[in-house]
Amino acid sequence: MNGCILILVALGLSIVFGLMGIINFAHGIFYMLGAYAGWLTVHLTGSFWLALLVAPVTVGALGVLVERGVLTRIYGTKNAGFAGVLVTYGLAIMIPDLVRMTFGRPGKPFAVPAELSASLFKLGPTDVNAYRVFIVGVTAVLLPLLWLLLNKTNLGLVIRAGTSDNGMVQLLGINVARTWTATYALGAALAAFAGVITAPLVAVAPEMGGLILIECFIVTVVGGMGSFLGAVVGGLLIGEALALTGMLYDVLADVVIYLAMGAVLLLRPRGLFGQEGMSEE
Amino acid sequence: MKGILLVVLLLATAPLYADYTPFYLGLLTEVLVFGLFALAFDVMLGHAGVMSLGHSAFLGVAAYTTGLLLARLRAPVEVSLLAGALAGLVTALAVGGLVLRKRGVYLAMLTLAMSQVFYYAALMWTPVTGGTDGLGNLPVLYLSEPLGWRLSKRPMTRYYVIAGIILVAMLVIRHVLASPLGRVMRAVKANETRAAACGYHTRRVKLAAFAISGLFSGLAGGLLTLVLEFVPIENIHWPMSGTVLIMALFGGTGTLLGPFVGAGVFIWMRDFLSKHLEYWEVFVGGAFVLIVLFLPDGIVGSINRLLARRRPAPAPPADVLVPDPGRLVRARPSDGDGGGPLLESRGLAKDFGGLAAVNGVDFQVRRGELRSVIGPNGAGKTTFFNLLTGVLPPTRGQILFKGHDITRLPAHAVSRLGVARSYQVTNIFGDLTVFENVRIAAQSRVTHYRCWGNADRLTAVNQRAEEILTSLGLGEKRHVRGAELSHGEQRYLEIGIALATDPDFLLLDEPTAGMSPEETQRTAAFVRKLAGHVTIVLVEHDMEVVMGISDRITVLNYGEVLAEGTPAEIRDNADVRRVYLRD
Repeated sequence: MNGCILILVALGLSIVFGLMGIINFAHGIFYMLGAYAGWLTVHLTGSFWLALLVAPVTVGALGVLVERGVLTRIYGTKNAGFAGVLVTYGLAIMIPDLVRMTFGRPGKPFAVPAELSASLFKLGPTDVNAYRVFIVGVTAVLLPLLWLLLNKTNLGLVIRAGTSDNGMVQLLGINVARTWTATYALGAALAAFAGVITAPLVAVAPEMGGLILIECFIVTVVGGMGSFLGAVVGGLLIGEALALTGMLYDVLADVVIYLAMGAVLLLRPRGLFGQEGMSEE
Repeated sequence: MKGILLVVLLLATAPLYADYTPFYLGLLTEVLVFGLFALAFDVMLGHAGVMSLGHSAFLGVAAYTTGLLLARLRAPVEVSLLAGALAGLVTALAVGGLVLRKRGVYLAMLTLAMSQVFYYAALMWTPVTGGTDGLGNLPVLYLSEPLGWRLSKRPMTRYYVIAGIILVAMLVIRHVLASPLGRVMRAVKANETRAAACGYHTRRVKLAAFAISGLFSGLAGGLLTLVLEFVPIENIHWPMSGTVLIMALFGGTGTLLGPFVGAGVFIWMRDFLSKHLEYWEVFVGGAFVLIVLFLPDGIVGSINRLLARRRPAPAPPADVLVPDPGRLVRARPSDGDGGGPLLESRGLAKDFGGLAAVNGVDFQVRRGELRSVIGPNGAGKTTFFNLLTGVLPPTRGQILFKGHDITRLPAHAVSRLGVARSYQVTNIFGDLTVFENVRIAAQSRVTHYRCWGNADRLTAVNQRAEEILTSLGLGEKRHVRGAELSHGEQRYLEIGIALATDPDFLLLDEPTAGMSPEETQRTAAFVRKLAGHVTIVLVEHDMEVVMGISDRITVLNYGEVLAEGTPAEIRDNADVRRVYLRD
């Protein structure tokens, strides 16, 4: 369940890095903004289902703005990868404070939608309610769709080709700029969607973007940067590791994932499903 | 020298410029300490080209070390500071050793993740670190006799003591950056592949940058403990790494004063803005984005650039290159390859996925020969070069150089044995001056890691670089940046870099690529004359050049040797005519 959220957020981080060579520090912000957009929708209309639609669309649009307005300025400059980290880091400092300004410092409560609050069955000592099942189900539907998008459509083909050789794709006369914008927006929308569906489980707060970013980065290191399967398997592994150690011995939970990352780095530096050379630069 | 005096004067009189309150002095001291931290950070980013997002670990571990020694063992201040600096060094070596398996942005993220391990350790180890409450109860801080100053009593004393320590640290860093090691760091930043091809173990050089950076970050951590008289857990949390990054970029990376200016601006923003605005981070973040986009050199870097623009333009270019091969090559003392081939490959193969780029190549070159390797595009010539020079590990087969097995050696080790190369696509240190391009290559014959003494005073190295530049006709251009040379000049500079490592064996990958017909003729003649002094293997597409100057020719096709022989034999070879010349 934890893993599902991680997969959705890490996938965007991984695809954007694979294509654009930029570690998108603003990715956690999109997750947080998604949760806020969802909260606002529920607050105004009372519909959780509408929030599931509104959040990805609005945050995806914001992703387009960030990519067109800020990131385009650094493409092609020397050390664009570094500059990408720096500007998105600047955004990651700025935006939470803007959110605090608008919505106030304390988090916003976000109720589990009434339709999904029923307890379904007991798994050992824990109550499994319908909402948790819903998260797993939604991820299970979304992932194959994303896989089809990335593997069977034209856009996906261009993204994957761009991941292995951007210059060549450009030479073939394909509008890479538009693909980059679309990819960045897709990543943002995915993160926002994950933000909405997490919201009922945690309080919606300006700080929620910071932590998940590092966790997702670990997921992509373990799974292999730029790899779809890597993000999925890595997300499940890290999510479960977090949940299990959290249940058994709380204080260790955060450390375990770092140890996992260290082990993968030592034994298989490119990650479980990473391609050779993919993440060297 | 004038600069140093100015800095000393500024530090000495700084307390006088504003009201004389402890608050102001405390702030000033904090700016200095963070300036040192940012400078230490910039040793990696601005000088070795390695971006770290994990410096909070170095600062934090050191701050705890100093704090614990003071609070628990009642150790003298000096000892605690020193121990803190060493703790920073050890932490940096541990982190660097692990993350240097990767490069660039990926490495940066790994440092961030690694630093979080230290954060969680500090968070969980409450009995020692105080957890979220921080580590307090530091005793009254005295410097031991003969100084015997009580540091915490008078902010003025504390300011001068700390300013003195920081001045010394700054001078040491300045010295190290000008040393041979500092220059190698710059070369690695400018072009890591080329630096490795000059014989430098680039990963180890970057690890040295980690060590230096860790040591001084550690010193800053210890000093911060003295300033705050407290060790907050925020020291070791990742936003601290972001803060130091912002400071360094505000001020300007690659400069000595930039980090201090950046620290001043940041702390001013924090104190001034947060007094008036609740949400000051919006402005810090916004300013940061703007600086990265529009002022990438930072404040000090931009001022430097403006000042540099007012200097007179460099001398006009010399017209024709008149290379003098005799003085370009300096033979290494022969370690006796006993009459066998200088270089030999046996069944050498490289697969890329399913594609066999090089497939079982047997190849021998004897000393003094000029061998050309030709073949249609995609025949595996460049891959073959990459195998011979250790850039790629072969899938199968063996490479012998002077009778030693060099099959698995990395590029820098192959270079040290006396193999040098030029690349198909021009590969020079674009950001370094023409002189430094050759000097750094020549330095690899003398010293790699020496971190004291000014690199410009290595007389033998300077002479060698000078000799090569003059012989290549590039002497007039010595102060121009490599990237600003014309294409033809860059090709020659690249050969100069290769020759500066005093090779026995020189691989030239299409040296005439992109040259005009006259330039090609001149270069061919130059290569022929060079061949009298050093063994050469040449990849070349211009048949006229190949037939005119080669002793022997090897023809590759689909990764295999199709034919080998003298130019006349190759010209008459039916296979070659069919496959290669297509007639």
